[in-house]
Amino acid sequence: MTEVSILSLVKSYGKAEALKGISLNIDHGEFVSLLGPSGCGKSTTLKCIAGFEEITDGKILFDNKDISRKLPEDRDIGMVFQSYALFPHMTVAQNLAFGLEMRRVPRAEIKQRVARAMDMVQLTKYADRYPKMLSGGQQQRVALGRALVIEPAILLLDEPLANLDAKLRDEMRGFIRDLQKRVGITTIYVTHDQDEAMTMSDRVVVMFNGAIAQAARPEDVYNHPATEEVAKFVGNANILELPVAAQGAEGTLLTLPGGGTLNLPGTASGQAGSLMRLMARPEQIALVDPSGAQLGGRIAKRYFSGGHIEYHVDTDCGPLLVLGPTSQTVAEGQAVGLSFDAQRLWPMQGGVGTASGVAA
Amino acid sequence: MRKLRSAVLILPAAAIIFLFVVLPYVIVLVMSFRTPGAGGAPYGEGFGLKGYTQFFSEGYYAMSLPQTMLLGMVTTLACLALAYPVALHIATASRRWRAILYGIVLSPLLVGIVVRSYGWTILLGNSGVINATLIQMGLIQRPLPLMYNNFGVVLALAHVFLPFMVLPLLSALQAMDPAVAQAARSLGARRFTIFRRVTFPVSMPGVQAGCILVFVLAISSYVTPALVGGMRVKTTTLLVVDALIDQFQWPFGSAMALTLAAAAGLVVFVFARLTRMEWK
Repeated sequence: MTEVSILSLVKSYGKAEALKGISLNIDHGEFVSLLGPSGCGKSTTLKCIAGFEEITDGKILFDNKDISRKLPEDRDIGMVFQSYALFPHMTVAQNLAFGLEMRRVPRAEIKQRVARAMDMVQLTKYADRYPKMLSGGQQQRVALGRALVIEPAILLLDEPLANLDAKLRDEMRGFIRDLQKRVGITTIYVTHDQDEAMTMSDRVVVMFNGAIAQAARPEDVYNHPATEEVAKFVGNANILELPVAAQGAEGTLLTLPGGGTLNLPGTASGQAGSLMRLMARPEQIALVDPSGAQLGGRIAKRYFSGGHIEYHVDTDCGPLLVLGPTSQTVAEGQAVGLSFDAQRLWPMQGGVGTASGVAA
Repeated sequence: MRKLRSAVLILPAAAIIFLFVVLPYVIVLVMSFRTPGAGGAPYGEGFGLKGYTQFFSEGYYAMSLPQTMLLGMVTTLACLALAYPVALHIATASRRWRAILYGIVLSPLLVGIVVRSYGWTILLGNSGVINATLIQMGLIQRPLPLMYNNFGVVLALAHVFLPFMVLPLLSALQAMDPAVAQAARSLGARRFTIFRRVTFPVSMPGVQAGCILVFVLAISSYVTPALVGGMRVKTTTLLVVDALIDQFQWPFGSAMALTLAAAAGLVVFVFARLTRMEWK
C-alpha cells in the first residue's frame, strides 16, 4: 500500500510543455484513472511516474519519499503496457518469474509465488505456453500477473484494454477492478475511454493540454463537471444558455424561450438579467406532450441503438440531444415538448455573463 | 481450380530451379561417381568411388574440409561480434540516422569482390600499407605476417560478408517491441541483464539467419581466399576449382564439391537444431 504524491510536475520537450505543473495525491489502495484525449499528457504523466521520462521540474513521492531521480528499475513499480510487452521467448511461467528473479527471490519461493499469481490471473493451465500461442485477453492477463507477482508499490496501466475487442474489454474491466480491490494496490490507469475510466475508478482525473481539469469521483465528473470541456469529454452534454429572471434565497428563476420557466434550486450565483450556462445530460431530458411543456421542439433525427433511442431535437435553445426509452417512440419531424429535471441541471463555472455582454 | 492456378504461377520459378539447381546437382552427382579419365580426358567410362576415396585418403585434400569449416565458423563469429553492436545502434537510431547508417553498412556491396580482396592485399602485404608504415616508424624490423594465412583470410571474409550479418540482425531487432525492454526495466532488470535475458534471445531469429548466411557464403567463397590467402590457405573450394580446371579431373572435383556441400549442410543443420526457438 503506497500513497503517491505528484507535486507541480512539469515535463517539457524543448519549448513545448507536455505537463504544465500538475499536482495530484493518490491514496493507499486507490484506483485513479487519468482520462483525456491523445496528447493531453496522461501517458507522459504515467511515464514520469514509472521513470521512463525524466521530469523537468517538480517531484513525485511514494509514501513521502522522493523517487523523482530514481531509475525505473529501482522504483518498485508494476507496469502493464498497451502492447502487453510480454517476453516472447519465455513461457507464461517464465514471464511471471522474471521480476522475482531480478529481485533475487529464492527459487522455491519464486515457484510458489508464480503458481499463486497464475492462479490469480486464471492462467495455471497455460503455464508452459509461449505468448504467441495465447489470445489477446490471455496475454493481457499474463501482463497483469507479471506486474503484480512482484508485489510492487504501485500498479501502472497504460491503456491496457485498447487492443482488445469490445466484449473482451468489458470482461477485462471487471476482472482488473476486482483483482485490484482484492490485492488492494494503489493503481494508476491511463485511458482515453470515459466509460472505462468511470466504471473502474475510485477517482477520475480529467486532463487537457498538460493540465488537470478535474479530479473527482466518477459521479461528480459526470454530473458536476468543472468545465464545459470536461462535460463534453466524459459524455454527451447539452449546454443551455438561459437568462436569469430572478435570484432568490430558494433558487434561481430562469426563463426559457417560448415563455416557460425553470426554477433552479440552490444558490447558484447569477444576477438577474445575466445569462447562465447549464449542462443537461441527454438522459436527463424527457420528451413530453408539446402543449404546456417547458420547451418546444421538433425531432430532427432519430436513431435506435438497442438500449435506448437517440433523438436530435431542434429547439429555440439550439439543437439538443435527448435519450428516450425504447417504450416511447416519436417519429422524425414530429413536434415535441421537452421537460427538464431542474434538480439535475448543472450550472457551468465561468459560464455566467451579462445578457448585454453576450449580445454585444 | 485455385490450386491449379497457383501451380501454374510457380511453374516458371520451378523450371528455373530445376534447370539451374536440380539438374546441375544431378549431373555433378553422376560425375562424382565416374572413373578418372586417362590421357587428357576429363573422366573415364565406368563408375566407381575413386573420387571420394581419393579425397578422404589423401591428407592434403581431406584436411581441407575441417580447415574450411573452421575458417567459416571463425568468420561467422567475427561477423557476429562486429555486426551486433552496429545493428543495435542502427535499430535505436533516429529515422534519419538509420537511413544514413543503413547506407554505410550496405556500401561495401557496391564494390566488386575482386576489387575489395585486392584492396586487402594492398593493405596487408609484406610491403603493404600497414607493414610499410610500421617499419618506417621503426616499430617493427620485419613485416608482420598479415596475409597468406588464416588471419588475413578471416579478416577479409568478415569485411566482405559483414552486411549479410547486419541486415538480418537489424530486422530482428527492429521487430522487437520497444516496450519489451521497458517492461524488463520496470521489473527491475538493469542494462546488461536486459541485453542478456531479453534483447539477445529475442533477436535470435536474426542471429540464426545471419550466421547461416555468412557461414555458407564464407566456406564457398573463392576469390578472397585465393587472393588474400595466396593459395597458402587451402580451402576445399580452392581445391575443387584446382581439380576441375587445372587438373581437369571432373569426377574428383565433383566428389569434393559434393562432400563440401554435405559437410556444410550438416553444420547448418546441427546449428539450426542447437538454436531452435520453440517460441517462434
